[in-house]
Amino acid sequence: MFHWLEKNPFLFSVGVFIVIAFAGLIEILPNFAEAARPIKGLKPYTVLELAGKEVYKKDNCIACHSQLIRPFKAETDRYGQYSLSGEYAYDRPFLWGSKRTGPDLHRVGNYRTSDWHANHMWDPKSVVPTSIMPAYKHQFKNIADTETAYAEAVTVKRVFNTPYGPEIAPSKEAYEKYYKEKLLPEAKKIAKEMKNKEVEAMVNQGKVPEIVALIAYLNRLK
Amino acid sequence: MSLTEMQGYAFFFFTIFLVVILYGYILHLYKSEKDGVRDYEKYGKMALDDELTDKPIEENPKETNEKKEK
Amino acid sequence: MQSNTALEYDYSVAKLYMWTTVIFGIVGMTIGVLIAAQLAFPELNYLMGEYGTFSRLRPLHTNVVIYGFTLSGIMASFYYSAPRVLKVSMGELPLINALAKFQFVAYLVAATGMVISLGMGITANKEYAQMEWPLDVLIVVYWVIWGINMFALIGARREKALYISLWYYIACFLGVAMLYLFNNMEVPTLFFSGGLGAWYHSVSMYAGTNDALVQWWWGHNAVAFVFTVPIIALIYYFLPKESGQAVYSYKLSLLSFWGLMFVYLWAGGHHLLWSTVPDWMQTMGSIFSVVLILPSWGSAINMLLTMKGEWNQLTENPLIKFMVLASTFYMLSTLEGPIQAVKSVNAIAHFTDWIPGHVHDGVLGWVAFMIFAALMHMSTRVFKREIYSKSLLEAQFWIQTTGVVLYFTSMWIAGITQGMMWRAVDEYGNLMYSFIDTVTVLHPYYTIRAIGGLLFLIGVFMFAYNLYKTATAGRKLENEPQFRSPMA
Repeated sequence: MFHWLEKNPFLFSVGVFIVIAFAGLIEILPNFAEAARPIKGLKPYTVLELAGKEVYKKDNCIACHSQLIRPFKAETDRYGQYSLSGEYAYDRPFLWGSKRTGPDLHRVGNYRTSDWHANHMWDPKSVVPTSIMPAYKHQFKNIADTETAYAEAVTVKRVFNTPYGPEIAPSKEAYEKYYKEKLLPEAKKIAKEMKNKEVEAMVNQGKVPEIVALIAYLNRLK
Repeated sequence: MSLTEMQGYAFFFFTIFLVVILYGYILHLYKSEKDGVRDYEKYGKMALDDELTDKPIEENPKETNEKKEK
Repeated sequence: MQSNTALEYDYSVAKLYMWTTVIFGIVGMTIGVLIAAQLAFPELNYLMGEYGTFSRLRPLHTNVVIYGFTLSGIMASFYYSAPRVLKVSMGELPLINALAKFQFVAYLVAATGMVISLGMGITANKEYAQMEWPLDVLIVVYWVIWGINMFALIGARREKALYISLWYYIACFLGVAMLYLFNNMEVPTLFFSGGLGAWYHSVSMYAGTNDALVQWWWGHNAVAFVFTVPIIALIYYFLPKESGQAVYSYKLSLLSFWGLMFVYLWAGGHHLLWSTVPDWMQTMGSIFSVVLILPSWGSAINMLLTMKGEWNQLTENPLIKFMVLASTFYMLSTLEGPIQAVKSVNAIAHFTDWIPGHVHDGVLGWVAFMIFAALMHMSTRVFKREIYSKSLLEAQFWIQTTGVVLYFTSMWIAGITQGMMWRAVDEYGNLMYSFIDTVTVLHPYYTIRAIGGLLFLIGVFMFAYNLYKTATAGRKLENEPQFRSPMA
């Protein structure tokens, strides 16, 4: 009755495949549409914030920081309101992380300021004396890849209908216009809040260092 | 019937189906050994007698045919 | 077939992978020891500028040990043992042999690309699926070639029945193919943005909670189909062959196989307990994780019982030591995993060091030990030489075992301590500890863990030396040994 299965590699493979694919079908498919709905009032990331998210990814902050507040009193006391599915609707990829060597960051924008972040990223020990986090001084020097971030905004707008306005369009001119009119003013505001003369000077010259984008992103996490 | 319900039923019946198959398989394994149809334990020898010159536990028929042709 | 008098197994592909196993093992585990030490001594973060921070190195460590060390070990064992149980030599199929060598080259290219891009911070940032789309494409090609080779070998077999190891290899091939494809669905920005930005950049096809679900469906089952399924394939071949004892119960091995296949995939949800995925999925993940003990222990007990009546070999043969301890560690971590998947335990354990602790008693104790034993067993046949030093092998075994024990015990304590401190409240219901309190308290455990890792790494160097010496200076053997690998 079963012997054919043990000797015919093709039928055997089909059998294995059905058995292993079953779980995925049942668990993942049915909730797809529902889980993708954003909560009311959720705005897509600005390009500067997206560029910051790229820095977050590049320096792999998820190695030590989660973005998921679980529904326990100890967690809501420490970090704020527990996380809701719809808050992540524009997170591609999701950045929940799996390890908290450092604290959760899902609502870090509520209780940390731009200049706190600036000091912390330059030298974590200056604000948390026993911190084991490394300093990320290179973020003050490297220029953020805002063009790729803009490309990402264009892509999600066109492929996933993320609600961006007409200012996000697939052309170099549109990018340059956006950069001058929207992105730089946003960056200048953050640079000012950071109270860091060098960073401010850089942004005034029209260059956005990674740290500015990263802080824009962190401030957005509320 | 909503998608979730359908998914629930599908899950339930497919799981029952697979459980039946699994138990059927256990039964089959022991029954065929008892009835002398097939001794599954001899397949364990495959790892031990694995030289090219060793005689296969069960010849692949294709091979046998070729030999016959020769 | 031609009446080929000198027909022999052709191990050339297996040999190539043996060396990459050793090289990637050394690289990946050295990085591992470094980042473990960084947690205890943060000054070590500044050895290589922006490329040397913990966060940048951690994905390098995980990817190099998974896709470098482990996958090489699996491929070496596959190209060694699959032809043997099928009784067909790679040398008889010149086309497949050439294709397998091409597959090896593709592997080297992909692995090099992986190391460089992750080092530069080019990453899709989904754990264990960090590589960006150009590399993903290359990996798919690589995997398809493996499938072609596998089924071509099976097609040419002399042995009609498929040995249980092959079942597991086939499952590994199918499982990884399915999971990898779905989890890495991403949209390259290049094609939709009018050519703006970096060409290799992409966005995930799924967002937020969905992405998390697909990711951990993958993340968990990457563990299943890379760290468990093919390693069981290894032990089902190498333990019987080395000990000269057939598998204790072949029927049990078949049953455990189907059990494992069905149950494993469901358990992915236990990575997302208390998150925003629906409750019933979390519960399902929890329940199936507990059920998973059965098929896992089915295989492990089967392995241990294979040694029945031959336990004296455990004292005489270090390779048997490695393999028996590997199956014991397999039992330990397949019991520990379900415990962590219970929702109330998970509330404490999740996000803490207990999780890396659990991973490492599995990968160090089970995966790495099994690969070391397999490679050593193969070396006597592949190089036709005696293993260079038995005492070195014995020493490696004890040093590494000590390392693993230090590693997981320290991480258990660290994880539970931190989990309890996070939730501790005083009599008025206020949190007792600030976050940084819960970090500084871990310093001694991080130090112990780094020492444990260092011991393991020392063992890897001993292994590499022993293998190299076996290949070059071991006493030559006239014939392939039948069972037990001879050693000096």
